[in-house]
Amino acid sequence: MPIFKTPFNGYSVKFSPFFEHRLAVATAQNFGILGNGRIHVLDLAPSPTSHAVTELVAFDTADGVYDLAWSESHDSLLIAAVADGSVKLFDTALPPTQNPLRSFQEHSREVHSVDYNPTRRDSFLTASWDDTIKLWTVDRPTSVRTFKEHAYCVYSAAWNPRHADVFASASGDCTVRIWDVREPGSTMIIPAHEFEILSCDWNKYDECCLATASVDKSIRVWDVRNYRVPLSVLNGHGYAVRKVKFSPFRRSMMVSCSYDMTVCLWDYMVEDALVGRYDHHTEFAVGVDMSVLVEGLLASTGWDEMVYVWQHGTDPRAP
Amino acid sequence: MEKAIKRQQVLLDHLRPSSSSSHSYESAVSASACLAGDSAAYQRTCAYGDDVVIVAAYRTALCKSKRGGFKDTFPDDLLAPVLRALIEKTNVNPSEVGDIVVGTVLAPGSQRASECRMAAFYAGFPETVPIRTVNRQCSSGLQAVADVAAAIKAGFYDIGIGAGLESMTVNPMAWDGSINPKVKTFEQAQNCLLPMGVTSENVAHRFSVTRQEQDQAAVDSHRKAAAATAAGKFKDEIVPVATKLVDPKTGEEKPVTISVDDGIRPNASLSELSKLKPVFKKDGTTTAGNSSQVSDGAGAVLLMRRSVAMQKGLPILGVFRTFSAVGVDPAIMGVGPAVAIPAAVKAAGLELDDIDLFEINEAFASQFTYCRKKLELDPEKINVNGGAMAIGHPLGATGARCVATLLHEMKRRGKDCRFGVISMCIGTGMGAAAVFERGDAADDLCNARKVESNSLLSKDAR
Repeated sequence: MPIFKTPFNGYSVKFSPFFEHRLAVATAQNFGILGNGRIHVLDLAPSPTSHAVTELVAFDTADGVYDLAWSESHDSLLIAAVADGSVKLFDTALPPTQNPLRSFQEHSREVHSVDYNPTRRDSFLTASWDDTIKLWTVDRPTSVRTFKEHAYCVYSAAWNPRHADVFASASGDCTVRIWDVREPGSTMIIPAHEFEILSCDWNKYDECCLATASVDKSIRVWDVRNYRVPLSVLNGHGYAVRKVKFSPFRRSMMVSCSYDMTVCLWDYMVEDALVGRYDHHTEFAVGVDMSVLVEGLLASTGWDEMVYVWQHGTDPRAP
Repeated sequence: MEKAIKRQQVLLDHLRPSSSSSHSYESAVSASACLAGDSAAYQRTCAYGDDVVIVAAYRTALCKSKRGGFKDTFPDDLLAPVLRALIEKTNVNPSEVGDIVVGTVLAPGSQRASECRMAAFYAGFPETVPIRTVNRQCSSGLQAVADVAAAIKAGFYDIGIGAGLESMTVNPMAWDGSINPKVKTFEQAQNCLLPMGVTSENVAHRFSVTRQEQDQAAVDSHRKAAAATAAGKFKDEIVPVATKLVDPKTGEEKPVTISVDDGIRPNASLSELSKLKPVFKKDGTTTAGNSSQVSDGAGAVLLMRRSVAMQKGLPILGVFRTFSAVGVDPAIMGVGPAVAIPAAVKAAGLELDDIDLFEINEAFASQFTYCRKKLELDPEKINVNGGAMAIGHPLGATGARCVATLLHEMKRRGKDCRFGVISMCIGTGMGAAAVFERGDAADDLCNARKVESNSLLSKDAR
């Protein structure tokens, strides 16, 4: 299956929502501790038998890139979350010398995640280690709103797939908060784990179902209408779970990656929830994504500077 | 570094769960700063904003004292043009300069300080910009640059000027007043009174540097300086000075613009130099031909924090890495560079082999040759555009002159020339050396492989 080697350590990988063969990778030098960053936009060969990956374009940044998100409204726009606190907008159709199109410098610390609104398609969220989440639109020079309630780094913010104004945020203060951008404060505070929460994502088929991933090695699935008890607790990772993502195709499927260097697939509705485990990375697995266009197509990246793209059920390392 | 440590802490916490949200960092695993620090060569992976960088370095031409182009020029009229050039060529607002430090040696201290203050006004600096002088004899100019670099590092200000000024026409080397008789009882103190030429004879004698080696060094210096002048290499660094020349017989004043060093003799030859008589000792080896020239001149260097330079979009000529001043036996003061260079290079976390270019002041061919041999340096890397024997040695200005010469040569040589060293011996037995680095150099890390196809850098990374 397609494999791509990045010069820096991988931090995030995202499939394009417009082209089934395209994906973007966010990387950072020296494990994101210090140094530069680079975004690679990769094209997979159209035929399934060929494993060639071509680099369409790459953008350099002055600091590590921790996350990126494709625009849902323009097929060539990318938003990057940069460790120097900036949020940068890149156009893959333009040469690197004309990029970034915009750079928004508002966060005072590392920006750890970015999520583009999939329903309204005009705005995006950034979550930062400065304890805030910011709401942006592409055309405005400053953020629309800052959400400041968390008491420690916010690692992730994710839009609800049904309600264009609702999102969830996961923080190192051990809470997940649900927000409605029309409301002045958070509408719900869920003390989802006893430990730092690194990621959260909404079920694509159930607007009330939320998954959280934590340093406590577990993933928990919640019904936000009744959050005293999780719907499900998924144990299996050996270290902190870095990212969790619901399948766009199957209601109960999700993928996760962890500091234990593995990528896991889960079905939280069945008793034996761990559906698959991939140990192809030789360092922390930090970024994972599922294609919304091709069912079962997965991509992952990690600190071993590798990007893998594979079909669920096959070996990512298979030549 | 602090940012990196904080990042490590956040990531370490992911691996070392603590359920409380207090985030204390007292566990067995902890993030630590790299012991080698920011200056170590191997970890220069990205440009740090708090580097002290040089964005401009200029000098006047150096002219023979009493006979050369500046014989009728006031010292402040030497300093003002180089200060003005820094401002004009970089478009920096002069009121943003936090301090001007001028290395100057022979003139009476307070008078020279006043002259420098006046020169700053002539150059267009507002009254709000302070100025001071510094005197570390022959390395005063370099000391001025080092002082400014240190003050910027300390956070006293973000932009400063290190300069050097000497008019040996106006202030010849002389002792003023009587000498404390106690000096007789302290050999080292007494040696401080030795004429510099005698210390040169001491070096030549003690370390067996022959007359021929010394004359050859002088010939080489003249040859390289003449070639550099002919190739127009000094044009980048020399600021033309409009001044006057007075005819000694008629008293007639003639306006002139001085833009070329006037001490260089392109046809200096061994046979010619070997005819000169030793000056300091009957059977000695130090002659007027293999000693530095007595000159007038000035130089100035504009330093600032890298972040400020980047904000202003100024080109970065070089990074000031380290400075080291050491003491040696006053009787052989010329050996200073042989001690100072290893000290400065070590402080930069480097080896002598890492240095691509040297500017070692040629106070005397004897000490210059000794230092080169002692450190086993490649002659091809030292004073590639000639040295003080050809260009001149206006004591206080030499350090700033060397910065201009070194950094412009490093710029010409491009990426292959990453580290440069300036050093000189200092009267009364000292040596000073400083390490400079190209502004854009960065190491490849062993785990971050180089990307060959990197022709299209996005504008963000520049």
